[in-house]
Amino acid sequence: MSEERKKILEMVAAKKITIEEAEKLLAALREPNSTSTPTTSPKYLRVRIEPAPGNDQGERVNVRVPFSLVRAGLKFASFIPVHAQDKINAHLKEQGVPFDLSHFNPQDIEELIHHLHDLSVEIEGKEQVRIYCE
Amino acid sequence: MIPLWLWIRVSENENGKRRLALPIPIFLLWIVLVALLLMLAPLVLLAGLILLPFGWGRPLFGIYGNIFLLLGSMSGLSIDIESRRQHHLTRILLK
Repeated sequence: MSEERKKILEMVAAKKITIEEAEKLLAALREPNSTSTPTTSPKYLRVRIEPAPGNDQGERVNVRVPFSLVRAGLKFASFIPVHAQDKINAHLKEQGVPFDLSHFNPQDIEELIHHLHDLSVEIEGKEQVRIYCE
Repeated sequence: MIPLWLWIRVSENENGKRRLALPIPIFLLWIVLVALLLMLAPLVLLAGLILLPFGWGRPLFGIYGNIFLLLGSMSGLSIDIESRRQHHLTRILLK
């Protein structure tokens, strides 16, 4: 019997917690990642633009884009006809972006969005720009 | 869910004390859009069949589904613009 389970049962015996509370604690112990923060998909893409420190007169912009909208937009890429994809790929390659639209499928979107969870872009200049997911 | 209302909220501070919340019923716009899409459906289908050998048929067949997918994803979109100089806060929210 693990130490945690023992402590929980001792607390029940000493009437410090109820049986229902003990059951919840035991269930939490059974789950392997119960104490770590749950990795859920991000819900919103946030873009914040604020004036640089010292400039209180500038405008602040705060945009919240639902990730479902990002997914829907990315799915449009799969509807680009093949001959148009070739032209787009060629232009992207010219600009130094080695991205192939023909290999982009909707299954990749979920993986891409999952990895965007840790995305954080901060740019400081005349204005502070921050892009992150939450 | 497809957003039904577009909320525009303007608040003014620094003793301007004006607050305006304007709900715009965009569901009326969706009704017009659905009617328009239904009217165009035979034309889109015909165009899709004609353009299928040229690679444009598939995008046309899928366009209706994608329009509704896009509309349904817009719920929760919000844009806040705050101007400290003019003590204005404008919020646009799709709900």
